[in-house]
Amino acid sequence: MLKLNGVTRRYGDIVALDGLDLIVPDDTYLSLLGASGSGKTTLLRLIAGYEEPNEGEVLLNGERLDGKPPHRRDIGFVFQNFALFPHLSVSDNVAFGLRYRESGAIESKAQIRERTEDALNLVGLDGFGHRGVGEISGGQRQRVALARTLVTEPRIVLLDEPLGALDANLRARMCDELRAIRERLKVSFLHVTGSETEALTMGDTVAVLADGKIAQVDDSSTLFSQPKNPAAARHLNAWNLLPGVVEGGALRTSVGLLPIVEQVADNTPVQLAVRFDEIGVCDPAQVPEAHDHFEATYVTGEFNGPTALSFFRTPDGELIQVVDHLSDSRLPDLKEGQAYALHFPPDAAVLFKGAA
Amino acid sequence: MQVGLLRPALALYAALFLLFLYGPMIVLAILSFQSQGGGPQFPIQEWSVYWYKHLLGLAETSRVSQLPVGDSLIRSLVLAFLTTVVSVTLGTMSAEAFRTRFKGSGPVFYLIILGMMVPGVLVGLGVALLSNFLDIGRAWWSTSFVLHVVYTFPFAFLVMLAIFNRFDRSVEEASLSLGVSPAQTFRRVTFPLIFPGVLSAMLFSFTLSYDEFSRTLFTAGADLTLPLAIYGTFSVEIYPNVFAFGVLTTLFSFTLLVIYGLLMKRFTRNKRFAGQEDA
Repeated sequence: MLKLNGVTRRYGDIVALDGLDLIVPDDTYLSLLGASGSGKTTLLRLIAGYEEPNEGEVLLNGERLDGKPPHRRDIGFVFQNFALFPHLSVSDNVAFGLRYRESGAIESKAQIRERTEDALNLVGLDGFGHRGVGEISGGQRQRVALARTLVTEPRIVLLDEPLGALDANLRARMCDELRAIRERLKVSFLHVTGSETEALTMGDTVAVLADGKIAQVDDSSTLFSQPKNPAAARHLNAWNLLPGVVEGGALRTSVGLLPIVEQVADNTPVQLAVRFDEIGVCDPAQVPEAHDHFEATYVTGEFNGPTALSFFRTPDGELIQVVDHLSDSRLPDLKEGQAYALHFPPDAAVLFKGAA
Repeated sequence: MQVGLLRPALALYAALFLLFLYGPMIVLAILSFQSQGGGPQFPIQEWSVYWYKHLLGLAETSRVSQLPVGDSLIRSLVLAFLTTVVSVTLGTMSAEAFRTRFKGSGPVFYLIILGMMVPGVLVGLGVALLSNFLDIGRAWWSTSFVLHVVYTFPFAFLVMLAIFNRFDRSVEEASLSLGVSPAQTFRRVTFPLIFPGVLSAMLFSFTLSYDEFSRTLFTAGADLTLPLAIYGTFSVEIYPNVFAFGVLTTLFSFTLLVIYGLLMKRFTRNKRFAGQEDA
């Protein structure tokens, strides 16, 4: 189990990580979702030992890691750019750790060959050993990088946006394979990514990193349907957030007064969150019964294949997004510049207390 | 200037440049085939390889004494080799130090560079005075050697700095994450990858030291290096044997360049940074 306690890392005046706590249980695929510049790479580099925290501690199975040099931490690291050794062949890359590691290096050539072949087998690259790393494709390099790390049997594997350098359809395939490989080895993976779909697909558990702290840790579906705070909701890229103030049991927002179910004291600043796919669109005169609604102007649409995204602007400039599924269309034909009622069932709205 | 004129003008400039670069060498090469009776000037009396034989001591005795290059050539080669080893080692180590910012790195950088900026005659004279003052004997392998290192170290340092500048640190980090110690990482990853740079730094140091003149002039003591020995013969009278020697040393330099080229090709073919994507 990897445990981070109050880890803080500053670069001059900039605080990258601010008293961060995180637990990565054994035998788990944990994906860490964070925007670019949120400090997610910094977090991995602290765990691996390429950088040290200013405060806090990093523990692996109860043993302090911070302060130890990186080569004595026994932690695997898969780089975004793969960082293969360009002067070595594929099998020499994979055998590198076995041959030259400080403790537990293997002398027997036959044993090294066997373990190298097993590792290449595991990532589906048997027969590629003799090739130079310049002679294989991006996806294959990714597998070599993974095999090179896994062959040394690290206690935990850190993956820094490992799919970032691959094209879309290779990425989808590698997603499945990464999960399958991890399940066979029973080692924990900590996978850092900026893509919410990747984080939700990959992780048994997903952690959201925002403002140098972990905003929420949950399984994918709980996180997606019940974000605990605005930061988590924003990172999922599936929730509209409307800031407002409570006023006599209702919410005064920029789009007018909206009823709320919860009892909240007057003048509490809150944010109302409604998921992109829970909002319906209709003529202002035909709002379905029992649905809350507000008005907004249709700006433009974006066609994404199986889904279509529509953008609306509220009178004071707030941007609202609505998702429609192609096979199960809910939206009428929309005209740019026209006002529509955006409606949703009251129980679809989530209320976050506190200012935006 | 009109675009139509620019190209011929540049071509003319390039042609003149090449002429001035190679002209003197070609003239020397032609004159080295002068016959025994001819002097160091045109016209060629008769084509012959007499002066080459003379240089190598194969000609029958003549009134022209043999060039005293034998010992000085060996001295120069040994000196250049030692200088190369020390300068490139120091240069690589200090360039490695400059990969991370450290306190005072700015001033230290300029102090190193100063070694190649200060006029050679001045440092040479200074070291000569200093060694007299400290009562240290001057010799090509001591005082001159130190000055050669001071002179070539900045070049080696700059070459290695440029190499490290475009070196991707993540391959070293990858090696560390596999449990390989920093020393082994340098040996197995860093050094093989910077080796082409090391070769370039070696070439620089060697050639700079091999024909160094001004710094050596005051510090070499009694035993002369090659450039000093050749200069010494000028003060008597010039014969075409100097030209013959020039041709031979030029050939030697070209051989070095060819070896360098072959080694570079061997170590950089399809390999350099091929294992990484552009992140």
